[in-house]
Amino acid sequence: MSQPTDDNLEEKVVHFTDGLPGFPDLERFVVIELRENGAFQQLQSIDDPSISMIVCVPWLFFPDYAPILSDAEEHELELESASDAIVFVPVSFDAETRQASLNLLGPFVVNSRTRRGRQVVLTGSEYSVRAPIDLVSG
Amino acid sequence: MLVLTRRPGESIVVGQDIIITVIEIKGGQVRIGIDAPREVQVHREEVYEQVRQENIAAVASSQKAKEALSGTPAEEPKEPRQP
Repeated sequence: MSQPTDDNLEEKVVHFTDGLPGFPDLERFVVIELRENGAFQQLQSIDDPSISMIVCVPWLFFPDYAPILSDAEEHELELESASDAIVFVPVSFDAETRQASLNLLGPFVVNSRTRRGRQVVLTGSEYSVRAPIDLVSG
Repeated sequence: MLVLTRRPGESIVVGQDIIITVIEIKGGQVRIGIDAPREVQVHREEVYEQVRQENIAAVASSQKAKEALSGTPAEEPKEPRQP
């Protein structure tokens, strides 16, 4: 395993060309593992180093999760095959109750071929923006 | 803001290819139909707002979440230890 270089970093950059809801100007992010083989990653803005959030693959906690992308979203992402899609969701943490939760209503979908991503708002679904997770099982 | 008065069954055309139709008005609610090209995103404002607020919460709690989630081995007990 070679040392990470700028080239490697660039390879891992995901371009959210429309920004994120709440952060419309932040387009370039990298995904960093919190620990090796762990459940959680950090979605780190390159444009503003002070902005990051924890994310994870939703199916680790919600195996039945089935987000359905609209034609518009698939078109925007240029997704030709479902296997090209990488899906992860924002994690929030309430320090008082020590409760972590996943935002299942607004998953990030990244086209692994193009490295372009969008945060998809699942209008019409019943998914919660704060689905609690049990950290012990994670 | 442009303000128009419409009756049920009447429409508004936005640009070349977006048509918004008032379908029904009943009990303080309006049912609206939207015909738009598939690349145009249409959301209920409050659903988009929920996701926006949750992004802000996720960013605000990022450091605490990182501490709690990266340092906690799966086998560590959830309950605080008794002194």
